[in-house]
Amino acid sequence: MSEDKKSKKISRRKFIAGTLLGGTGLLFGATYLGRHSLRRTMFEALETMAPAYMGDVSDPLMWFEIFKDNRITLHSPKVEMGQGTFTSLAQIAADELNVDIDQISVVHAASITGNVDGLSTGGSLSVAGLWQPLRELSATMRQMLVLEASKKLGVGANTLSVEKGVISGSGKSITYGEVVQGVEEWEIPDTPPLKDVKEYQYVGKPIPRIDLVDKVVGSPIFGMDAELPGMLYGAVVRPDQIGATYAGADVSEAKGMPGVVKIVEEKDFVGVVARSMTEAENAKNAIKAKWTVEKKWQTEDIDAAIKVGAGEPNVIQLHGDEDVLLSAEDAADASYVTSEYTTPIGAHAQIEPNGALAHVEDGKATVYISTQVVKITRDEVAATLGFDAENVNIIPTYLGGGFGRRLHTPNAIQAALMSKAVGKPVKCFFDRKAEFQNDTFRSPTHHIMKAKLNRNGMIEAISHDYSSGDVMFGSPMFPAIMETILGADAGALRGALIQYRAIPNFTVTSWKVKLPFSTSWWRSLGLLANTFAIETFMDELAEKVGKNPVDFRLAHIQNDSAGNRLKAVIRAAAQKSGYVDEIRSGRAMGFAASTDGGTPCAHAVEVSIEDGEIKVHKVVCAMDPGLSVNPDQVRAQCEGAIIMGLSASLYEKMYVDDNQLRPVIYGAYRMALMRNSPKEIDVVLLRGQETPGPVGEPPLGPIGAAIANAVYRLTGKRSRSMPIEV
Amino acid sequence: MKISFSINGQKKSVETDGDTPLLWVIRDMLDLKGTKFGCGKAACGACTVHVDGESIRSCSFAAKWAEGREITTIEGLGTAEDPHPVQQAWIEEIVPQCGYCQPGFMMATAALLDKVPSPTDEDIDNNIINVCRCGTYYRMRKAIHRAAEIKKSNTNT
Amino acid sequence: MKYLFILLFACSAIVVAFNLQNDPVVETIPAVTASITTAASEDNTAFDTMMKVLMHKRCVNCHPSDAYPRQGEDSHIHRFGIERGKANHGAEATTCNTCHQADNNNQSGVPGAPEWSLAPLSMAWQGLSRTEIARSMLDRKRNGNRSIKEIEHHLTEHELVLWAWEPGVDNEGNPREKPPVSKEDYIAAVKKWVEEGAHIPDE
Repeated sequence: MSEDKKSKKISRRKFIAGTLLGGTGLLFGATYLGRHSLRRTMFEALETMAPAYMGDVSDPLMWFEIFKDNRITLHSPKVEMGQGTFTSLAQIAADELNVDIDQISVVHAASITGNVDGLSTGGSLSVAGLWQPLRELSATMRQMLVLEASKKLGVGANTLSVEKGVISGSGKSITYGEVVQGVEEWEIPDTPPLKDVKEYQYVGKPIPRIDLVDKVVGSPIFGMDAELPGMLYGAVVRPDQIGATYAGADVSEAKGMPGVVKIVEEKDFVGVVARSMTEAENAKNAIKAKWTVEKKWQTEDIDAAIKVGAGEPNVIQLHGDEDVLLSAEDAADASYVTSEYTTPIGAHAQIEPNGALAHVEDGKATVYISTQVVKITRDEVAATLGFDAENVNIIPTYLGGGFGRRLHTPNAIQAALMSKAVGKPVKCFFDRKAEFQNDTFRSPTHHIMKAKLNRNGMIEAISHDYSSGDVMFGSPMFPAIMETILGADAGALRGALIQYRAIPNFTVTSWKVKLPFSTSWWRSLGLLANTFAIETFMDELAEKVGKNPVDFRLAHIQNDSAGNRLKAVIRAAAQKSGYVDEIRSGRAMGFAASTDGGTPCAHAVEVSIEDGEIKVHKVVCAMDPGLSVNPDQVRAQCEGAIIMGLSASLYEKMYVDDNQLRPVIYGAYRMALMRNSPKEIDVVLLRGQETPGPVGEPPLGPIGAAIANAVYRLTGKRSRSMPIEV
Repeated sequence: MKISFSINGQKKSVETDGDTPLLWVIRDMLDLKGTKFGCGKAACGACTVHVDGESIRSCSFAAKWAEGREITTIEGLGTAEDPHPVQQAWIEEIVPQCGYCQPGFMMATAALLDKVPSPTDEDIDNNIINVCRCGTYYRMRKAIHRAAEIKKSNTNT
Repeated sequence: MKYLFILLFACSAIVVAFNLQNDPVVETIPAVTASITTAASEDNTAFDTMMKVLMHKRCVNCHPSDAYPRQGEDSHIHRFGIERGKANHGAEATTCNTCHQADNNNQSGVPGAPEWSLAPLSMAWQGLSRTEIARSMLDRKRNGNRSIKEIEHHLTEHELVLWAWEPGVDNEGNPREKPPVSKEDYIAAVKKWVEEGAHIPDE
């Protein structure tokens, strides 16, 4: 990523943009969010969990760059953090543009192109959300090229056809690359009819990831790999205490250390700029920052705060009569069952630390960064520097893991301020301890499940009360007013609703708690914890009435589209795994299912206990995300989510010790390694709808409960707390 | 101090403090960005390279120890045109997701296959202890077995 | 009881001495003999001082009685499931030296010293009493067939042992705890102990 190559590329694009749009467009953008009301889209997304793309979809020229040699670059408003989105987008575009997939490369759209998602990359919505707009944009772009070719070739557009980016008819032909040459002005036609999914060559096929080779040869594609000439290295002192406010620093020792260029003291942080990463780190460690702390927190305080009954309640689901449950509870009815569950604070622990390379010069700022919120990063940097948004260019890089950690990017602001202070590009990254202690954690949770069973061994009424810290609230992605409007945190409620809607009476209550440290988006949000509680409880109820847990679940699912899809994945997982409710050769099976964003998923796991440790040998996952644009990458997401969820369920736990969040290092923060990962993961993909649904998070839901249910069969003891222990 | 070594077959000398982690010499002085920083504490393995054929974690390897030695990074393991058997297997099994930790895993795997040409699952579990947050372990295990096959067939032909 | 031990020790010393006949390093015999002559002495100061060090986690963490090295002030099992391995040096391709080099790395907080490795299982100390440790140290079947002089050398000059007084910093930059006795006092105590006959007092 040398400056040389970069400037060449930008001038090339300027040329093309200028040609295409008479000097505007590709570089300066059209209207962001022009036709979308943020609020309305938000509510649509919340109510129906329907995928919504919040960026401009009116102008194909902001998306595609077509080169003379007939290569096409797609400027993606969604970032690639491992979820395989770039590959799926290339497949979709290739099919509607009528080009070979090899002709398409996908890059992150820099914010200056205008092709920026209004919100984020997250929520498992990238492919699902772009499915319709990108097909329309690609088809429209194809039509624009055909119309222009018609002019150039003097052949009626109706008689022209396109193959591999070559437009031909009446014995003449011209490539896309040739068509775009010299065009002064483009007219955007009506979107032509889209192809039938069956006609697609790439969509639905397990195409190898388009970033595969780069990632296997170690290409410099990540945020931390970015470089600019004359670049210096920054390091920021970050608090190791909860609730710490910066109150100045003694920088006398750090000032004179080798390589130090400048100590940067801002109103809310102190950092150092030095000639190398090591010198910056060493000087940073020599800065004695002062912090004010109002209260010293301990784990017990957090446990006491996260308690159903302690926060602000909001009923988020209510069907039938809740008195059925209350009267059973009051009468101490034998058919009344209740259980409590807890999950701990979870860290993101993505391997690439947060950081940014910023260059602030002549009233303009350029920031290279692994971010999931390109527009917010831009707006925050602009606001801090007092620049117009157009003068801040955020250039997203491949993310060394996202998982929700990069939905907050104050590090971009710090890098920009340090660059401004020294007048040179500054690269500044978190160290690992700061990363662990300044994470935006997965909130700890507490759940109370209650049920009343009838004489036939069916659930007559069920309730789920859960307590959680913020997930969505407090996020820069949403205005603070959302908290007042919604009441219940829309992130914490993921997976909290009762999906067994054949139960006559059910209710769910959220208890909102404010924790003293930042809790936020962690892949799948509340889903892992909520499913752990509900699906372990379902297993307990099935056992109580002496029913097979698979049949018991099926019997409580309603006969509508969502219910039928859920039943189908449950049946598929049970069948493929040969689910049996008994111990065989020292292994027991566990079962659980959840629905997230409309995607149902069921896991059947095989578990044994070896040397006092829970060992997961095999996971059968059945999921119905609708159309899988790239079935191989959907499988990869299932495998990865299963392992990440297994890791969180069996090993991971942050605690608070004397106002410090700990541990601060991998290993002490135990995570699944190779030896802890299942040797068999069998993914069954169903297609209960013809459009793509969420993929990246749904398969995280059932894993914790499935393991806990298997462990119960081995030990006879219910695991109601994560991490699950024996 | 001046430190001279060979990296990916090329002789190099750098002028740096002897305690500078080799990782930063590789990344920032020699501009080989395939070796990654993950934790700086030899815990995650993202910075794994070979020194005289042995796996070492370069974030915790002082530059002074590199004097006169042969270093191999992911860039020296193989290329897109001529991938190492481990890289070839990684491509065949479509292992990477975010990809950040993968060079470290591939370097650790290449060293393993040099010592144990046909590793068992247990050998893999004991030797490959890097951290991957995307959870690509399942495919990595398949790729490691596949790499062993490719490497053997390359040697036989 | 005490005398029984002295008797046993004397016997073993004779056996050791006998075995040493075939050993080129035989100059240790007088020292062993000396142990018999001073065995009755009540002054175990040298032994006490030495054992305060040898019982310390800086030593015991690398003398485990199972397959796992220990780490840290709380002697937890080494993270990442690191195992002893066939040569007490970790797994085939991920050895001790994958992370530990010939000196402490103060950037990462990874400790290091020449020959960083685990003591073999025959030299397991973890869970043993101080007299059991001392006896195992003198037992040539368990101590790597070292003579008492070689033991003294290991204890007083081996860089890996003396690392205990330069243990560096941990991953957060905090200094590791040193043994409760200074290096000089420890070395003097070991030498005195050997000189006085390597007498192992009663429990």
